[in-house]
Amino acid sequence: MTNAAPISETDLHALVDDQLTPERAAEVEAWLAGRPDKAAEIANWRRQNEALDALFGPVASEAVPTRLDPHLMARSPARPRIAWTRLAAAAVVLLAIGGGIGWFGRSYTLPSSSDELITAAIEAHALYVREKRHAVEVAASDRDHLVSWLSNRVERPITPPDLAADGFNLVGGRLLPGYEDATNGPAAQLMYENAAAERVTVFITAALDDRSSTYEFLTRKALDAFYWANDRITCTVVGDLPEDQMKAVARKVYQQLTWRPDGGGA
Amino acid sequence: MDFLDEIEATVPALRRYARALTRNADRADDLVQDCLERAIRKRNLFTPTGPVQAWLFRILINIWRNDLRFERRRGDQIPIDSLIAEPSVAPAQPGRIALSEMSRAIDRLPDDQREALLLVVLEGLSYHEAASALGIPDGTLMSRLGRARATLRMSTGTADEPRLRSIK
Repeated sequence: MTNAAPISETDLHALVDDQLTPERAAEVEAWLAGRPDKAAEIANWRRQNEALDALFGPVASEAVPTRLDPHLMARSPARPRIAWTRLAAAAVVLLAIGGGIGWFGRSYTLPSSSDELITAAIEAHALYVREKRHAVEVAASDRDHLVSWLSNRVERPITPPDLAADGFNLVGGRLLPGYEDATNGPAAQLMYENAAAERVTVFITAALDDRSSTYEFLTRKALDAFYWANDRITCTVVGDLPEDQMKAVARKVYQQLTWRPDGGGA
Repeated sequence: MDFLDEIEATVPALRRYARALTRNADRADDLVQDCLERAIRKRNLFTPTGPVQAWLFRILINIWRNDLRFERRRGDQIPIDSLIAEPSVAPAQPGRIALSEMSRAIDRLPDDQREALLLVVLEGLSYHEAASALGIPDGTLMSRLGRARATLRMSTGTADEPRLRSIK
């Protein structure tokens, strides 16, 4: 080790992880030869590696179940994921009984209204986002009708936010039940899609009874939901975009639905 | 299809990693399935600046973290397989760490250290690949790796000399 670079912690890790060139590995070994304490530590690290490999290594040689064959998965894109099946089944039940007890809320002693709304928004997203022909009830091409119909039913002026700057165009919308105890009436779901066929939904209801302002960003299963409420509306933006993109879109929706005293009314 | 072939080639490694993270075979495969479906759906978002493998690990880890966050909020208990049960595993040989002991020690590691250690040791990712799969700087990866190994050493060996286990 006359003119070798000093030995760092990273070198020691790289030695046991086989990430050094043979020359450097030899230098590190030589360095260790004069340091029994350090050498004992490195020996223990190696045994850790062996133990981990013995514990889990064999899994990689097991036969792979067909449900994990990417070729089959790519060929049947409509096949629901396990998680989706669960969500969709829950959504069907919820819709059938008009909201019922939130599937996600089962572990809470008293699910809050906002929690019920977020649940409803996520389930509605999961249910309709996979649809191709029936993704929406009224298409964006019939925008005037869409706006007046949803605004009348939700009893709030609903102007679909413009998300074109983020690459998302309005597909259309549909009317949905809110949840069982909803005194705030039904919900409007607006669906957006980008060129990559990724979809984001915006779930809007009239304000909850308490009319409180609140906001929340949360993730359930693989879906992100951005929820906020003010004294006029509640809104939940749902999607599974990369986090930054999701937040940017949610922010746009928020800005457009809140800061428009004439149009948005929210 | 190139892309799908590459994914397919990574599935055994993803299953291994998922099994080590979840400690439950069914749950591990659910996690891998979620990961593959998302990867296939988002394939156009994948820019081939690095290996598909690291990207897949990144997706899998993100889904796993989301699941954990959600479950911990709900207070779910996740059953751990008895796959590590003694009889199925060879008894420790002299100079080796007992596997049951290692198994318990891994469970007690903080999530971030476990994720890092398994990516490097079990999956053989380079430090840089592992760091990018975890979305952290290389230096952070090294410190997690260091802490994980120090903790495991405390629980599987004595400070100055590795604990030797002769026969079970």
